Amino acid sequence: MSYAYLFKYIIIGDTGVGKSCLLLQFTDKRFQPVHDLTIGVEFGARMITIDNKPIKLQIWDTAGQESFRSITRSYYRGAAGALLVYDITRRETFNHLASWLEDARQHANANMTIMLIGNKCDLAHRRAVSTEEGEQFAKEHGLIFMEASAKTAQNVEEAFISTAATIYKKIQEGVFDVSNESYGIKVGYGGIPGPSVGRDGSSSQAGGCCS
Amino acid sequence: MHETELNDLSDDADYAASIQQGSPSNSRGDSSRRSGPIELSGAEVVYVKDNVAIHPTQYASERISGRLRLIKQATSLFMTWIPYKANPRGYESTGLGQSSQSRIPERDRNLYTIRAVSFTEIRSIRRHTPPLGWQYIIVVLQTGLAFPPLYFYNGGVREFLATIKQHVPLVRSADDANVFLVNDLQDPLQRSLSSLELPRVVPVSNGTPPLSPFSTDENHGSINETVNDWGHARLRVHDPARDISIQVLEKFSLVTKFARDTTSHLFGEVHNDVFSGNVRRPQIQSAPVIRDNERSDTKQESVDFVPVTPDPFEVDKISLVWGKPRQPPLRFDEWTIFLDSEGRITDSDSLRKRIFYGGVEHDLRKEVWKFLLGFHAYDSTYAEREYLAVTKKLEYETVKCQWKSISAEQAKRFTKFRERRGLIEKDVVRTDRSVSFYDGDDNPNVAILHDILLTYSFYNFDLGYCQGMSDLLAPILFVMRDEAESFWCFVALMERLGPNFNRDQNGMHSQLFALSKLVEILDSPLHNYFKQADCLNYFFCFRWILIQFKREFSYDLIMRMWEVLWTYYLSEHFHLYVCVAILKRYRKKIIGEQMDFDTLLKFINELSGSIELDGILRDAEALCICAGENGAACIPPGTPPSLPLETGSTYSHQEDEVL
Repeated sequence: MSYAYLFKYIIIGDTGVGKSCLLLQFTDKRFQPVHDLTIGVEFGARMITIDNKPIKLQIWDTAGQESFRSITRSYYRGAAGALLVYDITRRETFNHLASWLEDARQHANANMTIMLIGNKCDLAHRRAVSTEEGEQFAKEHGLIFMEASAKTAQNVEEAFISTAATIYKKIQEGVFDVSNESYGIKVGYGGIPGPSVGRDGSSSQAGGCCS
Repeated sequence: MHETELNDLSDDADYAASIQQGSPSNSRGDSSRRSGPIELSGAEVVYVKDNVAIHPTQYASERISGRLRLIKQATSLFMTWIPYKANPRGYESTGLGQSSQSRIPERDRNLYTIRAVSFTEIRSIRRHTPPLGWQYIIVVLQTGLAFPPLYFYNGGVREFLATIKQHVPLVRSADDANVFLVNDLQDPLQRSLSSLELPRVVPVSNGTPPLSPFSTDENHGSINETVNDWGHARLRVHDPARDISIQVLEKFSLVTKFARDTTSHLFGEVHNDVFSGNVRRPQIQSAPVIRDNERSDTKQESVDFVPVTPDPFEVDKISLVWGKPRQPPLRFDEWTIFLDSEGRITDSDSLRKRIFYGGVEHDLRKEVWKFLLGFHAYDSTYAEREYLAVTKKLEYETVKCQWKSISAEQAKRFTKFRERRGLIEKDVVRTDRSVSFYDGDDNPNVAILHDILLTYSFYNFDLGYCQGMSDLLAPILFVMRDEAESFWCFVALMERLGPNFNRDQNGMHSQLFALSKLVEILDSPLHNYFKQADCLNYFFCFRWILIQFKREFSYDLIMRMWEVLWTYYLSEHFHLYVCVAILKRYRKKIIGEQMDFDTLLKFINELSGSIELDGILRDAEALCICAGENGAACIPPGTPPSLPLETGSTYSHQEDEVL
């Protein structure tokens, strides 16, 4: 399927916060509570539409445990967006956000769009992190913020799409040189090249190669 | 597809022949036999030679005799070699009193069958006419792989070659008068040099990644595919870099040497044979009836099954370029032969070798895995093992008590414990839940996984718990069905694999490094491609190595893979050769599609469930033998799963972080 752009996302956060479930809910629209734990990295992909443009999201779902960090870091390479996830019912997953953010800032490109997600908001009765705290953290670190539930699908669609919308806006504003794939963006067939790309040129160079 | 028809033809014709020989009882469950209609039209047998034999071992008594044929269909020529059905009445013994050791199971014999290989698939035929002993040929395929030497007991190599020449172009190689090149119209010399895609010294410049000329189609890259599945001859473009493949021919000379040794050995025996007045004949003893599904087979009467006799002098170089055919798994009756009266395994090398080539029947795994993993010593007696089981069970309970006795109040003040427990609780419910042994709510086996892992994290507090451990434990518990035994087997496994889980990942990095070195010597174009694509960190193989391919195969297959790896038979690091073998299978796609790091990682991930185990094991075996000492030199000392070099703390103290 052709796309105007392909965005590479990475999902990060502590183990067990629901990274794989968020991905599955977004790509397959289902919740699978007995998903095998992630070793290394797994993948998902889905087409969305922004500003009437078909955009393909290629999403990398990473293992959360610390022992895999040195490997996970290599996956930041060339990601346009990141979903940083914590579990609103486990305070420690919120406390570790700064460390994750530091990793992301250090190993990803500077213009990566980061969305902070407080997952499991369906478990409000077990909430250990307030919405305000999440908002505050996001504000302090310049992140987009949303609470979501992979189980009920609440805000899952929105989280992925608003991240994409932000990236798309950055393209329109000329923040990226989209011909440079290290930004995690590929221009596909039928894509309207961003301002920094010549009209005639490179818009078809990468089409379809990651389907 | 006429090859298929031809295969049916040869198979059925041979079957019919065997019936005539009077062995109707040997109706093994050979899935390769087809009951379809016999297709005779258009096929003509242009050459038949009886008593052409393969020698799986050095001993003449273990040779497998069969019928070699050339079959012409339309313009294509095919070669088949079908072993005779074993038949006690059909053959005479050597008269040397070794009959009891010379039995080769029917199933093993059939593994060597050559079914209708097209001459478009054959690169060359090497002829050997030793002054003393029998003539034999080695048929080398386009892929560089070769069939075992075929011995012409009744002569006829010249006639064989002459017949071929009547139907397909056959020329003598310019560099070796005994090598005949098939379908080689352009440049015999070059053609003879291009063989396996093995080490190449000529660097490929970054701008021009190597492409199809040296690619092996992943579907056709190995001899273990059924022959009639193979595609047609692939055009090869000459590339000077391929000339390094001459090394492969040097490897072949090892085969030659082996064959020569074997031949002179045989000759000695024949000498005796002649003196004793016997006529030279195939000496295959009655191979017992082995059925694939013998458990459901209550009618089986022949129980005096003798396994292939462990032979410490057997020269394994014979498998140099093709990898031995996989054998059926080790069975109970065969297993008991390895045990002496007190239960010791006196020849553990033979046992490990046997398992390396065939694995273990499932019901026997509970017993055998304890040895493979190192929980039981091979030289232990029944009594010692019984005693060990009792004391180790107690010891397990003691360690388990250490965390069981932590009260809620104590746990409140014990963050590290809570974190570990929390991690394990989260992970065991995400481990193999699609396997029925672990599925469903409140499955007690999941609770046992939890207890074993938490106990292990106390037993080895320095290492603790890391993700991936539950993947390694789950099949062990599935096999052992016993908490304490599973624990100790897991402990034994972690003695070797523990470094995979070090926080600094040094165990993983040393293996990934060794892998990159192995690819460099075994497939330098692929290495160069990875280099150019900035993929030399081999992170795409991370999951393979971390949990020994657990996520890449179904349960049945991963148990087989693991027991093969745990024999440490050819190499402690055989798993790395397995990695190379898989990468080589898909090299054409990887290089052809110019995969970048992301695409490659995704591609490798998605191979899960589609890797053909037996074929990969054979390829890995061949690669491991070809790499030889050069391969071993790629692997730094102490690289997992080697046992730690010194005693003392294996694991540097690690900060527990539950990020």
